[in-house]
Amino acid sequence: MMTFAACLPMLAGGALGAWALRRAWRSSPEKGAGDRALGWAAIIATLVWPAFVLGDTRGPFIALAMVSVAALVVVATGATVRVAKAGKSGRAGRVSDSLAPEPLDRPTNRWRSILRWLLAGPIGMIAAMAVGICYSVWVPGEAQTRLLIGALIVPVVWGGAMAWTLADNRVIRATAVLVGTALAGFSLAILKGFA
Amino acid sequence: MTATARRKPPLSRVPANFVRAVLKGHSSLGLAFAAIIYLVCLTGSIAVFAHEFQRWESAGAPRLTTVSPDAVQHALEAAIARVGGNVEHGYINLPTPDLPQATVSVEKDHVQQGWIFDANGNLVAPGDAPFSEFLTRLHINLHIPGSWGIFIVGLTGVALLSSLISGLLAHPRIFRDAFHLRLGGSRRLQEADLHNRIGIWALPFHVLVSLTGAVLGLTTIIVGVLGMALFQGDAAKVYALFIPQAPKDDPRPAPIIDLRPMFPTVDRVAPHSRTDLILLEHPAEMGAAAMFNVQREDTRLANYDAYAFDRGGKLYHSVRSAENNLGERILGAIGKLHFGWFGGGAVKVAYALLGLGLTYLAAGGVTIWLARRRDKRNPAPGLERLWAATIWSQPVALATTALATAALGGMVSKQALIVTWAAVTLVILFSALRVEAATLSLWLKRASGVLLIATALVHLLRFLPADAVIWSVDIGLLACGAVLLWLAGGATAQPVPVPAV
Repeated sequence: MMTFAACLPMLAGGALGAWALRRAWRSSPEKGAGDRALGWAAIIATLVWPAFVLGDTRGPFIALAMVSVAALVVVATGATVRVAKAGKSGRAGRVSDSLAPEPLDRPTNRWRSILRWLLAGPIGMIAAMAVGICYSVWVPGEAQTRLLIGALIVPVVWGGAMAWTLADNRVIRATAVLVGTALAGFSLAILKGFA
Repeated sequence: MTATARRKPPLSRVPANFVRAVLKGHSSLGLAFAAIIYLVCLTGSIAVFAHEFQRWESAGAPRLTTVSPDAVQHALEAAIARVGGNVEHGYINLPTPDLPQATVSVEKDHVQQGWIFDANGNLVAPGDAPFSEFLTRLHINLHIPGSWGIFIVGLTGVALLSSLISGLLAHPRIFRDAFHLRLGGSRRLQEADLHNRIGIWALPFHVLVSLTGAVLGLTTIIVGVLGMALFQGDAAKVYALFIPQAPKDDPRPAPIIDLRPMFPTVDRVAPHSRTDLILLEHPAEMGAAAMFNVQREDTRLANYDAYAFDRGGKLYHSVRSAENNLGERILGAIGKLHFGWFGGGAVKVAYALLGLGLTYLAAGGVTIWLARRRDKRNPAPGLERLWAATIWSQPVALATTALATAALGGMVSKQALIVTWAAVTLVILFSALRVEAATLSLWLKRASGVLLIATALVHLLRFLPADAVIWSVDIGLLACGAVLLWLAGGATAQPVPVPAV
């Protein structure tokens, strides 16, 4: 019940923060400084005070969810509705409207594509495991802590490797870096062993 | 440097070719994983309410707040008698505020059977919750046997995390566009605005669930590699760092382990706590053991103690959560943070809404790609139909399984629900061969809306529940059904001739 009651001021704090940031966003940079400061202050305060009321880790994680929900509601209230244009959708979605860049149209062949996906998939996974295990072996601390943080490193590094290899035009460079990382990571880990 | 140049946000100075290259990777990854990310996110958003659905399924079962040790012992003995002895493991779930019912399950020859028991320990109803089980396993391992399913879901978490990284790098206008939400007009612009706004403002949540999901899914393989690289191939040594050792194996037959003397010990060593789960090892052998998972009443995220007893009631292992190191605390928090089971109903609702936002993110990415193709006069009507079928088949298939559960109650099994879900999904995917995307999505929205409303009505009429949480689930189903019908109404009114997914 206490958690539920605490969620309401968290939603209010998140909404205030997002509302102030939107005011800053709508005004000129000079005029919006106060609103920007208020917005960030409200959001940071909303993330911090629950730690004292609902638990040092539990509180901020609850606040994180509430601030996101409140901010999305604020964004939704500022939606502009345009008249749908029938006919040529190409014209309706002019590039000047979107300003989103087009994905790169790079020349490729089957083998480069296969290698790119191998790098993003299994090779990236092995490299990420090497980094995670190397961390677990070499960083001091309790065994459980080292293993858990090592395990958390694996998806982060794998995800980063995936994003990089699928974007990088130089596939051989990516191969060298990932294979090198895997070899170095596992060698260093085996060299020391887990203690 | 001019004042204007100084004010330029740092991300807007990222070279255009870098952004386009990252966007290419983001697009490729999104297209490759969109369907599975969509399914995992949709089922995850619903699985936040797994306990409430379990309660909804067993609407007629007795509601308990506490159970006496005598009742627990009686229920265990009755369950073992029902399967004819020789039980390998037992699991006793005691009432919690989320799920105020008591269940006992026993495992014999790798087959698990369970029952709900009343305040006297009498087995009063089957303990299966087929719909909740179907839904959560669909999220956890897609019902793929062995470790493959959970690995695929873990890989999906990594792909999602990677998409978040590349999406962030591919969006140099992240701050400048922070509040743009332009609906109507160009479909591509609308979808891009929705995709980017949801992606940015809920980013901490997205990172949290994808990271914890990836770790949960990849645990088996990470532990396997750790064991191989550092423990001479013995993964059990890694697990042994986190879980209590089983007592010495002694397979000689013996009377069923007596749990009653253990309760006072738990009360003494862990005052102000609640036992949620009792795990039993070989309860009818001399080497029997019981482990009590005890939740402490405090504000910590990882607040479960573990106390293990041997057959004689001797406490041979205890782990107090207050004394856990950082790694053990992280381990205890990962599952709660992933499913949103750490802050009561308000957090669950927030998690479900943000999860649906993530689901929309996965669906919207492909919609943007299809709209971009159409804008470049290179439309892919076949893929538009297939994507519409993929997206809208799931609400229909899941609602069909919910309706079957509400209508047939205990007569439906998890396997039957899997078959129903797969059959409905396949029929809809095949219908994409003939039916145009806009028509398909319109009718599937209507169908899922009607099915959800029918589910709630059938359930209410069948059980006339007195439990407020069960009412909330039925009202939630009615509301979701109404929203889907409203969306279908909006889609009928829209004249925009762009892919409707």
